[in-house]
Amino acid sequence: MEDVVVVFDHVWKKFRRGERHDSLRDLVPSLARRMLGRDGSRELETQNDFWALEDVSFDVRRGEALGIIGPNGAGKSTTLKLLTRILRPTRGFSRVTGRVGALIEVAAGFHPDLTGRENVFMQGAIMGMKRAEVAAHLDEIVAFAGVSEFIDTQIKRYSSGMSARLGFSIAAHLNPDILIIDEVLSVGDMAFQRRCIERMQRFKQQGVAIVFVSHQLQAVMSLCDRALFLQRKIREIGPAADVIRCYVQSTETRRDESAGAVVEIDSGELLDSSGRPATVVAPGASLTLRASYHFHERFSNVHFGLLLHRSTDGLLMYTGSVDWSDIGPKPIEAGETVNVVFAFRLPLARGQYHLECHCYHPPTTRHLARLIPAAMVAVEEHRLYGGIVDLEMHAVVARSGHGVELLTRAGRAIQ
Amino acid sequence: MHPVMLPGGLVSDINSCSRSDGLRGRGLWFDLQQMVLEQVEYRELLLQMTIRDLMLRYKQTIMGFGWAVFMPLVNTVVFSVIFSRVAPLDPGVPYPLFAYCGLWAWNFFASSLRFSVNSLTSNSTLVTKVYFPREIFPFSSVMVCLVDFGVGALVLAALMAYYKIHVSVAVVFLPIVLVIHVTFTAAVALVLAMANLFYRDVKYLFDVAITVWMFATSVLYPVQLVGGRLGVALQFNPMTPIIDGYRAVLLRGELPSAGPFLEATVVSIVALATAWLLFHRAEFQFAEKI
Repeated sequence: MEDVVVVFDHVWKKFRRGERHDSLRDLVPSLARRMLGRDGSRELETQNDFWALEDVSFDVRRGEALGIIGPNGAGKSTTLKLLTRILRPTRGFSRVTGRVGALIEVAAGFHPDLTGRENVFMQGAIMGMKRAEVAAHLDEIVAFAGVSEFIDTQIKRYSSGMSARLGFSIAAHLNPDILIIDEVLSVGDMAFQRRCIERMQRFKQQGVAIVFVSHQLQAVMSLCDRALFLQRKIREIGPAADVIRCYVQSTETRRDESAGAVVEIDSGELLDSSGRPATVVAPGASLTLRASYHFHERFSNVHFGLLLHRSTDGLLMYTGSVDWSDIGPKPIEAGETVNVVFAFRLPLARGQYHLECHCYHPPTTRHLARLIPAAMVAVEEHRLYGGIVDLEMHAVVARSGHGVELLTRAGRAIQ
Repeated sequence: MHPVMLPGGLVSDINSCSRSDGLRGRGLWFDLQQMVLEQVEYRELLLQMTIRDLMLRYKQTIMGFGWAVFMPLVNTVVFSVIFSRVAPLDPGVPYPLFAYCGLWAWNFFASSLRFSVNSLTSNSTLVTKVYFPREIFPFSSVMVCLVDFGVGALVLAALMAYYKIHVSVAVVFLPIVLVIHVTFTAAVALVLAMANLFYRDVKYLFDVAITVWMFATSVLYPVQLVGGRLGVALQFNPMTPIIDGYRAVLLRGELPSAGPFLEATVVSIVALATAWLLFHRAEFQFAEKI
């Protein structure tokens, strides 16, 4: 079989917004008007048309996972629907070769009045499985979803997590050549999400081509080789880490809550130990960030804080501050400027991070000013671990009776 | 060119393309082949969908299948009183048998359509989220009603035994009548399901139309009694020869009257081919317009 199994070739998709004639009652008068030639609705219609996708092209090979990211309304779901033939392109064409498992809405085929078991057969048939195939996998499906006790209970008694898990579980036991996934990871608890990712990794190793749409950039990062940043058009396509960085930078609009307030913050550039601007650094890099706080009122009790977030999921990595009352002998007078240089190290794993500077006032428990992001930085590392922090692990490996033979660091041998 | 989700790995490496110029360059014959092939590939889903609807009805109503039998029976009793006591009518067989046979066959047609008209719109999540041939929705509605029709046949058999009607060799013609009946029903079902998706008030019009249509068909009285221009117009209704066909082969032990029945046959086949083709070619708009 050929290698490229998903082709999207210069696809354009037009939608119509606004009112449609969806009843005969509306249709008849409008037809009459049109026949009498007193209607400008033709022009009106073209005004209401809009392009959901403009000239989008990509392909996916066997064993490859493509992540599609982008803001809401960027055309991600439209793309998936075009791939699964639910919609047809206005221009261009899409081709999918082989058996497709689509997890667009995992529980779409479930009927609330039927039991879990009955729904598994129905959903299986919708996904293209034979009854015998479903029957053969029934126990596995139910066990994977973790709903064994409730399999003869009506779906309407299920929690939303349970039915979503059951839906995903059916799809996970399909035998697809291409797997199309839309935001399924948002359901289920952490253990289930991990199982889903593992299952998808396994599909990938088996040579299944995966198209994965998610807002969980961290999941895209861990599953996908390549990513596509979509915003009607292709904004960026390439290695997942690069595309995610591009997307994060485009979404991190600078939110300056200090403008016009009693305190204003200016931040300088993030600099590395040799004083050069730091945008991409290695784990453990030493960095400095200068921030200037302009005071318009007199304050004696303020904290200057620094926060670090992982941009892909907003995870708070660090928060710390200095207390002016500990270091400053006198109150800060109105009109004064305080310069703070934050110096810190980033013992972190690969990822995209951003920093926030703020000025906090403990007596009122309010932020006098916040600057988000004050700076952005990506950590690049090409060792074999994932995770969040760089523990700078050293291992001493010794074979008994031979003494120290090999020293490794973070899984990689050091000569 | 081919469906995306192919069941059971049956035809697992067929290209599935979707082009903007999907309508151009596709022959009539190609489309006809395609739509029948799709149904063959998705036959498991059609079966599963039918089972689902049957199970649902069995769960949701106390009477389950009894409902399919009960309504025609009640109507038979009511109209038997009217047409044997109030305005006596002699259709050539005992009136209750005449009426039940008509109502039984009509009920299959009417309830198939009643289910079909909402079949796409009430499954809008499936229509917008998953791809499979959309014909499955109206077709499974017809299949469900076909099961009811089978149950209703038992009552007819009991009535025939009561009135000591002997089944003649003409009964071998019954499957042909049934096939034509189902063909015509499926054709109208496809059109209604599609029409209601595009224009939501079709289902209200349908309610009115189906009542009028029943009285324009030989359900409760031989429609041939209607004379004049109206009588001529009513001859074009293919449901009359079909229902009369059942009465002929089951109650009278004759063959269906050749002329009208042949006409109904041709109309049914042409109607199904046309309706299905229309449906198939409009299918790609369903997810957008629903």
